[in-house]
Amino acid sequence: MNTVTITRTAQDRWEAVADDRIVGDGDVSRRPDGRTFISVDVWQDAVFEQLAAAMLADLCAPLHTVVGAADHELRSRWERLGFTAARREWEYVLPTDPQATGLGAPALPPGVTILPAGTADEVPLRRLDRVIREEVEATVGWRTMPAEVLPCPAGPPPVDPAKYAVAVRGGRYAGLVRVAPVRRRARIGLLAVRADQRRHGIGRALLAHALGALHRDGIDSAWAEVDASNTAAIELAEAAGARRSSGYLELARP
Amino acid sequence: MARTSKGLELEGTVLECLRNATFKVELQNGHHVLAHISGKIRKNYIRILPYDRVLVELSPYDLTRGRILYRYRN
Repeated sequence: MNTVTITRTAQDRWEAVADDRIVGDGDVSRRPDGRTFISVDVWQDAVFEQLAAAMLADLCAPLHTVVGAADHELRSRWERLGFTAARREWEYVLPTDPQATGLGAPALPPGVTILPAGTADEVPLRRLDRVIREEVEATVGWRTMPAEVLPCPAGPPPVDPAKYAVAVRGGRYAGLVRVAPVRRRARIGLLAVRADQRRHGIGRALLAHALGALHRDGIDSAWAEVDASNTAAIELAEAAGARRSSGYLELARP
Repeated sequence: MARTSKGLELEGTVLECLRNATFKVELQNGHHVLAHISGKIRKNYIRILPYDRVLVELSPYDLTRGRILYRYRN
C-alpha cells in the first residue's frame, strides 16, 4: 500500500485514502449528554493508528469511544492512543419460561397491583416516567444508563402506554417496565421503580409480569442491557435465569 | 484531483450472529459474507439481530468480508 493521505472531509468526518481508494474513515458525534464519541473503521490495520491520531489532533478532549466487550484487539488499539476503560454495559438474555426463570405465578408484594401493557392511564404514566428520569439525573446520572434511555435534546420521548406495564402501590404509579417485541425475541428497554418505592419487590414483580406475558405470547427470550455497576439490576436479572451474551465497553481519553 | 473509490455497498439479510460482533449476511445477490459492525453502529449501540435487513460495504481487499453500515427498520 502506498502513502496514506488523511483528510477531514466534513466537521464530523475523516477519510484515509491510499491508491485512490478509501481505506478508512473516522466519525465523530456528540451525545445528548454532551460527550463526544469517535469511531474509526479501516480495511487495513496499519491505517487505524494514523487515522485515529489525526482525529485526536483535531478534536478537543475528553473523547469517548465504544468497543465490543470481547473485542480485545480494538480495545488495545484505543488504549495505545491513551484511552482507558470508563464504563461497561452487559447485554443479558432472559428466558421467559416460568420454569426457567423461577418467577412463575409470583405472589405480588402486599398492596401492589400490576397494570398490563396498554391499560395504564397516559397522564400518570408520563408523570411516573418524568419522576424516574429526574431521579436518575439527580443520582447516578445518565452516563451510567444504557444508551437507549438517554434523554433526547427535544425533551423526553413520547410515552406509549401500549408498551408499558405499570406497578401500582397505594393508588400511585410506583414502577414501570417497557417491553418491545422484536420477532421471536423481545427487548426490555426500561425497568424502573421510584426511589421511595424500592425494596418492596416491585421490580421483581414487574419483571415476572413482563416475562410471563411474553411467554404466553410465544416469545421464548428477551434481552436487556445493564450497566455493570448496577448490582441490583444484575442480581435481579441473574436471579431470573439471565445469562450474559455480550456487552460494550466505553473508553475515554481525558 | 484523483477520484477516490469506496467499497461496494449492497443490501443483505443477517443470517446468524457469530462471535465478536461478526455476522453472517446473505446479500441480495445470494452471496454470503462475514461482516462486522461499523464503528458508527457500535457507537450508537444499534443492535443487529438475525433477519435484520442491513447495508453492507464489502472489503475492497476480500469480497467475502464486509462491514455493516446501516440497519434498516423492518
